[in-house]
This record gives sequence, structure tokens and C-alpha cells, in this order.
Amino acid sequence: MKRLRLAFLAPSALLLATLFLAPLVIVAVYSLESRGAYGGVTPPFTLESYSRILDPLYLKILWRSFWVAGVSTLLCLLLGFPLALFISRSGPRRGLYLQLVMLPFWTSFLIRTYAWMFLLRDTGLINTALLATGLISEPLPLLYNDFAVILGLVYGFLPFMVLPLYTTLEKLDPALLEAAADLGAPPWPALARVTLPLCRPGILAGSILVFIPCLGAYLTPDLMGGGKSIMIGTLVQNQFTTSRDWPFGAALSFSLMALTLGLLYIVSKRSRGEDLL
Amino acid sequence: MHRRTFFFGGLAGLAGCRRSSQPRLNVYNWSNYIGPNTVAEFERQTGIRVRYGIFESSDELLAKALTGNCGWDVVFPTNHHVAPLRDYNLLAPLDHSRLPNLQNLASDFRAPEWDPQLQHSVPYMSTSAGIVYDRRQLGTLSRWADLWEAKVEGRMTMLDAQDDVLGACLVKLGHSWNSTAESELRAAQREAIRQKPLLRAYLNAEVRDQVVAGDVLAAQMWTTTMLPVMASAPQLDFVYPAEGFVRYAESAVVLRESPRQEAAHRFINFLLQPEIAAACVAAEKTGPVLAGVRELLPSELRDHPLLFPAPQDLARGVWLRTMPPSAQRLRDRLWTEIKSA
Amino acid sequence: MRLLSIYAVLAYAFLHLPLLVLTVFSFNHSRFTQWEGLSLRWYTQAFADPALREATLNSLLIGGAATALATALGTLCAYALWKKKSPLFAGALYLSLMTPEIVTGVALLAFYQWLFHLLDLQLGMFTVILAHVSFCLAYVVIVVIARLRTMDATLEEAALDLGANELQAFYKVTLPQLLPAIISAALLAFTISFDDFVITSLVAGVDSETLPMVMYATARRGVSPVLNAVSTVIVLGLGGLILLSERLQTK
Repeated sequence: MKRLRLAFLAPSALLLATLFLAPLVIVAVYSLESRGAYGGVTPPFTLESYSRILDPLYLKILWRSFWVAGVSTLLCLLLGFPLALFISRSGPRRGLYLQLVMLPFWTSFLIRTYAWMFLLRDTGLINTALLATGLISEPLPLLYNDFAVILGLVYGFLPFMVLPLYTTLEKLDPALLEAAADLGAPPWPALARVTLPLCRPGILAGSILVFIPCLGAYLTPDLMGGGKSIMIGTLVQNQFTTSRDWPFGAALSFSLMALTLGLLYIVSKRSRGEDLL
Repeated sequence: MHRRTFFFGGLAGLAGCRRSSQPRLNVYNWSNYIGPNTVAEFERQTGIRVRYGIFESSDELLAKALTGNCGWDVVFPTNHHVAPLRDYNLLAPLDHSRLPNLQNLASDFRAPEWDPQLQHSVPYMSTSAGIVYDRRQLGTLSRWADLWEAKVEGRMTMLDAQDDVLGACLVKLGHSWNSTAESELRAAQREAIRQKPLLRAYLNAEVRDQVVAGDVLAAQMWTTTMLPVMASAPQLDFVYPAEGFVRYAESAVVLRESPRQEAAHRFINFLLQPEIAAACVAAEKTGPVLAGVRELLPSELRDHPLLFPAPQDLARGVWLRTMPPSAQRLRDRLWTEIKSA
Repeated sequence: MRLLSIYAVLAYAFLHLPLLVLTVFSFNHSRFTQWEGLSLRWYTQAFADPALREATLNSLLIGGAATALATALGTLCAYALWKKKSPLFAGALYLSLMTPEIVTGVALLAFYQWLFHLLDLQLGMFTVILAHVSFCLAYVVIVVIARLRTMDATLEEAALDLGANELQAFYKVTLPQLLPAIISAALLAFTISFDDFVITSLVAGVDSETLPMVMYATARRGVSPVLNAVSTVIVLGLGGLILLSERLQTK
């Protein structure tokens, strides 16, 4: 077993070591250096970039990012679970339905976001339709606020929730639910008692796949939120582009990664032996 | 079956990136920033094959060039990025004897403040930013200060770019667009925060559709973005604000690492011909830097105020400057504060 | 189940609404989001643009190659990690998921440049593909391992008892059961790879411009319905392929 396991792990290990960890070390060194005049880094080694993060300004941005990512993940779970359940119970059409979930995501993220901006703006489809039916007399402010940011994130990452949920739900034996039904359990309690616990791995995997990218999102807050507030993803992005402060950008992202890793650790401890990986 | 195709495809790509037998030139520019036939014409005249790539932002270009050899020969940074590229020793000095067409440059661009001797860069096109607004709804606007008025509340956007927002606030307060003084910058930041409740959003070119559709009545915007749509939206007007505005010049530079200096010079010299430049201007609606281009343009562009601001307007324009590191850092910080306010 | 079906219809409507919008506007004569009548002008423009065509092909090639590699490696990796946990390995995978894209991009670019300095190579297709494999890997492992967690290990043990060796047990017993997860993972990997802009634009070479790079660069100067037309063609093309393969499979 040991040999097979090593053979299976080796290619991925090699890949991760050369194409992820080694480059990451370079950035780790960046985070400890000083800012170059116009970008890049220059010698004196310092911890200044890390100490700057403790500024309430950046802590507030961090907190907001975690909050937005958390809400988006929760909504993805609530919206994605029934969809994954539906797909997993669709018999031979499962594959098709699953691919239908992914289909819109083969357009560019940017183009999808522009489409949402068209749907949500004052003269957009939704407001025009609502105004025409007389349900509202003033356009609803649907764009450029937290609602729009969260909508954009939920839309963008819903498939990341549905796919792992589906893969665990698909495995569940429908006979189990039938058995529960035969024993007189109404469908909803059966769902809560039987299905939910059994697809915990999927819920966990999906939540991670949504939460982490949401945390780092930078274009959705800028476009859907109209850039009126800033999330950590944009802050990091700015450091490497307009601000040209690579050490600070690197330090910010390492702090973010440390926080996220810590959060994952706590979740995995709390999840009663259900390790994340 | 699929996997195999992909694999061989990948190998072909791998081989392709090392082939360099034909004379070729790699040019990296903004999207659609050239005439439709410019490259083909250059290829026909010189026999040099051109690979014309497009980048998303001058910042991305700078980040990429900083790490080392990226394979491009001629790139087009905005004027305030010329100094950083030069200071990091990434630019090849230009050989003026190979650029006889430099004489075609308009007088404004012969000794630009960012590179007075044109040692490393040649201006290529120039743009500016002002206010586009709905004249029917708002009446005439003439100043940045109008964007702090209640009449634009909730229907106005500023660019999502710190230099532009801070710059507009600075000139509104009577300071220089390129100010590096802490007290002035802090005052500008307070001005931006004061404006925030009136603001619909900080948006770049994405807002254009909403300006045309009437969601947004006034927007800080680049001339290049607006010019192509002004004719089809008669309610819109564009103003170079009274307090001052910013100008940018896209500049052609040759990267030091480029092994094709000769071809790179030929390409830049080729662009410096009025006929070629006129075709680029007509296609892309961006201001020319050569003398004699205006006469070659179709009549609707020849006197367009977005391409050729009136002399009294132009007098208020200032070139965007490279910020020294300390000012840049303060500006970053203030911008983050504005965003979090 | 009926309630669930109604919900599914709504959910699909939510997911496909933007797709519908951009498809409709790709046929709009106007450059703006105002309806001015049917027109194929954006399609004509899109097909006449060699840069768009090349970028689309590059993206499909990179997406295909990266998906194939990441799915294969990730599945094996997930299986090995399921057999025996490795907190170190898991940590590295999660870390790769958590690194902001721009940091991954800058890090990889710096690493490539350092390496190429020694090897006299240049950025190109393969640098993009390798980058994509490395950031898709974690997604594949997480999806596949979620499925493994719900599986019964006794089946494989039975196969071993019946004289199969470990590789056979994996190949004949476990792998078929993993198929839905592998398909999901591949879909996810392809989607991520096909849509990536930040990392790709940093590690791409002169000859490896991808579709998102062209789209972001173009949109920078005001979005054009040409991009809607391209998106529509791709969705229809890939959607058609899927439908076809679905048909072939069920037959």
C-alpha cells in the first residue's frame, strides 16, 4: 500500500513543491523586505509590512471581508443544497443537469458581471419590469451596494458549492430515504436526520471552495459594489498594481492566509473527527 | 482521445515558443490602440512579422516588466510609467538616427516633461479625463465643484482610480493635480469623503453604458472612452473642468532586453508618419501627437473638442506625473481610507 | 420532489439569466444595452478577428490540457490522502487555494523568470498550462475526496481479499465509483482555468494570449457586444459538445 500511495502522491507533490511552494517562498521573502521606489523590493529586511496590518483601517477591511465571504457562503449553501439534491435525484439526466449548472460559467466572468449590471441598474431589466407592472414607482437601488456584492459572489461561486454537494448526495442510497419513509418519517425530518449528516463532507468541501475564493474576490466588490467599499482582495491586488508596494501586498496575503488556515483548523477540530482533508 | 489531442497541442505550443527563425517583432499595447491596417502595412513594407498583443493596464505591464524578460520588444506605457521603467534600467536608449520621423512630432510633444530629450520614449497618443454629463437634465456643468452639488446626488460617478479622484479633489481646492504635499493631500481626501454620499459608484469604462442610458447623469471619464459614443447620444456633453484636468500620453518604448532593437526602431519610426497616425486616430478616437495629422482626419473628427480641445481648455491641462515613493504611499493610504469611509 | 423541481427551475433561471441577457445583446444592432433591432454585425466582427480566434483556441487548449492533468493528478492525490491522512500535504493544498491570485501570479512569474534565466527559456503556453494545473489541483482533490469520504472502504477490501492487487482494486473498484466526482472535478477545473485572468496574464508569454486576457483588455476601453457574441458562440459550442457526448453515452 505504501508504495502505491507514494506513487499516487509523488506527481502532485512535485507539482505543488515546484509550482506553488517554491514561488511562495519568494513572496515570503518579499514580505520581509522594503518597498522598491516604483515596485519590486529592495534590501533592508524589516517586519514593518506586517506591523502596518495592525492598523484599525486594515483590520476593519479584513473583518468586513470575512463577514461578506461568510454570508455569501451561507447563502450558497442554502441555495445550492436543494439544487444539488434535485440533480442527484434526476436519474439518467444527472450529467446533463450538472453541466447546465456550469454552462453560464464558460462565458467570461467580466461579461457575466456586465450582464448582471445591466439586469440590476436603474434602467435595467428588473427595474424596468417592476416599474412597468406598477409594483414600484421608483427604481429600486439594486446595484452598487452590499446586496449587489453578495449577489455577485453567490452567483459566481454557486457552482463551487453545487458540485461537491452533488458528488456526495449522488452517493447516498435512495433506499435509505425510502426506508425512512416506510418507517413513517415525513420527508423533511428524513432530510434533516438522514441526508444532511451523510453529506457533511460535501457541505464542508463546498463551503471551503466558496468561502476562500469569496474572501479573495476583488472584481465583484469593485464592479457590483461600485468600488464604494474595499475588500481585502482588492487591497492586495492594489499593492501589486497601482500602489506598487509589493512587501505590504505580500504581508497582507500571508496574514490573510494565516487567518484562513487558523479558521479552517478550528472548523476541522469542531467537526468531530470529520477532517477536512 | 481528447486528452491526446490536447497533449500534442501543448507540445506544439511548447515548440512554438522557441522558434525564432523569421524576423519578427513583439508589440504590446492597449487594446484596439492602432489602426485596423497599421500592422499589416508595416509587415508588408518591411517583411517583419509582428505579434501584436494587448494588455489590460499599464500597471500590469510594469509589474510584468519588473520581474524580467517577458518577450515583448516594443511596449506602450502611459507617460507616468516611463520614469519607473527607466530608473529600473528596463528601457533601451533610443537611437534618434534611426528615428528620422521624430521631426513629425507636434511641438507639444518634442520635449515632454517626463522625458525631455526623448531618450527612452516617444509619445504615441494622448488623452485626458474630464466630466461627461447630461446637459438636458443638469444644465451646463463647467467645474469639478459641480460634482459636489445636490443636483447630481446618486446619479454621478467618479473613476475608480486614486490618481483621478485625488487629482480632481486637489484641483477643486486650488492645489496642483500632482501635489505631493501631505496637508493638501489630506484636504483632498476629506473632499472625496464629503463627496461620497452623492456618489453612485467609482467606475471606469463600465459606466459608459449607464451614462448613455441615463442612469448616470454625470461621470468623471476619459475622452477616449466617450468620444466614440458622443455622436449617438446627443444629450451628452463633455467638459474640461475649469479648475484643471489631467492629460496622459501613451508612449512607445523599447525594452532593454529586446534582441530586436533594429526592428523595434523601425516600427516606432513607422508610427511617426502622419498618414499612419491619422489612421490610428480615426480608428481609435485618441488624440494625435504628430503635426499634420489633424488635416488628414475626416471632417467630423477634425474639429472634435474631445480630440482637439480648444487652446484655452488645453492650457488648464497638466500631465500626470510619477509620484515619489513617499507621496505614493500617502496617496495609497488616503485612497484606502476614502474607500472604507 | 415536486417542490424541488419548482425550486430547480427557479435556480436554473437565476443561473442562466445573465447568459440570456448577453445572448440577446449579442444579436442587438446597437453597441449599447438598448434594443435597436436584430443584427449579426458583432458575430461578423468576432469571426473576422484573428486575435480573438487565436485567443479562443489558446484558452481551449490551455483549459483542456490543464483540466486533464489536474484531474488525473488530483484524483490520484485524493485517493492517497484518503488512504492515509497527511496534514502537511493537506495544508499545502489549502494554502494554494487561499493564496490571492495576484500573489500566486507574481510568485510564479518571479519563479519562472529566475528558472528561465538559468535554462534560457521564455514564457509561453507551457508556463500557463503548468500554472493552471497547480491552481486547479486543490479544487480537484477537495471535490474527489468529499466523494471518497462517503464511500465504503469494505468494497475495496473485499476485492483485495479476492486476490486483486492494490492497483487493480483501485482501478476496478474505486475508480468507477469515483466517476461522478471526477467529472464534477474536471468541470470545475475547466471552468476555473478557462476563466482565469489575473494569474494567466502574468505568466503568459508572447504567444499565449488567452480569451480572458483579450476580454479584459478590450473591456478596459468600454465593453463591446463582440465579447457577447464570442461568449455566445463558446457556450453554444461547448454546450452542443456536451449534449452530443451525453447522447452518445446514453446510447
